[in-house]
Amino acid sequence: MKLELGCIKIRDIMFADKSEIRDGILYVNAKELEQIVLEDEHISAVGFDIARPGESVRITPVKDVIQPRAKVEGGGDMFPGVVTKVATVGSGKTHVLDGAAVVTVGKIVGFQEGIIDMTGIGADYTPFSKTNNLVVDFSPKENLTANEYEKAIRVAGLKVAYALGKLGVSHTPDETKTYEYSSIIEGSKLYPDLPRVGYVMMLQSQGLLHDTYVYGVDMKLSLTTMLSPTEVMDGAILSGNCVSACDKNTTYHHQNNPVIEDLFAEHGKTLNFAAMIITNENVFLADKERSSDWSAKLVDYLDLDGVIISQEGFGNPDTDLIMNCVKIEKTGTKTVIITDEYAGREGTSQSLADADPLADALVTAGNANQVITLPKLDRVIGTLDFTEKIAGGFAGSLEADGSITVEIQAITGATNELGFNRMSAR
Amino acid sequence: MVKEIERVGIPVVHVCTVTPISMTVGANRIVPAIAIPYPLGNPTLDVKEEKQLRRKILNTALEALSTEVDGQTIFEVK
Repeated sequence: MKLELGCIKIRDIMFADKSEIRDGILYVNAKELEQIVLEDEHISAVGFDIARPGESVRITPVKDVIQPRAKVEGGGDMFPGVVTKVATVGSGKTHVLDGAAVVTVGKIVGFQEGIIDMTGIGADYTPFSKTNNLVVDFSPKENLTANEYEKAIRVAGLKVAYALGKLGVSHTPDETKTYEYSSIIEGSKLYPDLPRVGYVMMLQSQGLLHDTYVYGVDMKLSLTTMLSPTEVMDGAILSGNCVSACDKNTTYHHQNNPVIEDLFAEHGKTLNFAAMIITNENVFLADKERSSDWSAKLVDYLDLDGVIISQEGFGNPDTDLIMNCVKIEKTGTKTVIITDEYAGREGTSQSLADADPLADALVTAGNANQVITLPKLDRVIGTLDFTEKIAGGFAGSLEADGSITVEIQAITGATNELGFNRMSAR
Repeated sequence: MVKEIERVGIPVVHVCTVTPISMTVGANRIVPAIAIPYPLGNPTLDVKEEKQLRRKILNTALEALSTEVDGQTIFEVK
């Protein structure tokens, strides 16, 4: 499978009568997008706003972040199985609006939605302070169930990102990157002397606000399986979750998975990127055992020399992480795990809920319990009404002067376990 | 909490879904629960079946509490 990603650099977003991309500026007709959103009968109203890097703007409560993309050549289209028909993606050409993002906000569904600050110290903790964000603010109809509301805004956000992505189809990209993924046998023949390295990606799958969709399939209903990493770039894996804001994988994270990016960069040089495995993190112990058994079986079957395992979320998924790690190590395959820590506000508590001596190589994305004070910003997109309710917030988080004291857990992407941030520790 | 209560000499049964975590933190008597969002019941069952299930978990826990153990022991709910 070969995928060309054509990046169209977006340096600003502005509202206009005509939606188009001109001179690196994404012009958006909000009325057109409103019509797309209101096709869903569960949504009563929608507002659009723009947040640019460096502006004194706070966005909250953030549900998902999505990068506008569309297929130019090759099978399938963006967000298959959810926004477009089910068809295999991951080959041909895809155009990316690089520098733009769709951020969805609105009345809270759960307590696990986040904060994005476009300036100040909070901006250092989220990658989405560096993107030009079209913020979509939803109002649900009355008497919806939490599930109906969650699904409506999740899909509407993807539709908006798809509509914007399509504006880039006829443009010449500023930069093109090529990713090629071989079959198992072909790959071994190409690089017989390089270690065969796989990627085991763990996906949240614990119910409302903790789900992930793969080609539209709710991952908690799936066994561990495989796909091409290029499919992930084409929107095969979508976020349906708001674990804690800090360590959820938004759809944007999936589209730009840095583990995949780095494995491709080293492919054919220091390693042979042989396979990508996706597995779930379910609420039953038997499911945890079964899925991690399956990860280890696939790793063994594929005869991998080493595996990188990334986690999503924390707490009981630490057990899925350790099960995957231990069972894969026991097949004779080396592992490195990527996780984050909940080591208490002082950083002195046990970092993970589970542990094993075989888990001896770990990359941490930071301590989510770290407390931070975010200064008052001039403008809020969304609402501060839920600041004390979101995970990482607490009674007294919202000060009278408009500043906010929270654990970094409340900041979208702060301790992302794909390593999509700059924080780490040794 | 399990360890602190045992430290003052009162035996504890830890009823929990993810028993490997209970093993890691050092509980001695462990009873497996149903699922993370509903450890002590199962909303997919009807009321009568669920009551039976709850009683079974409780009886297993009481039995575990009155059983001598040499080390960390998982008491399966029958």
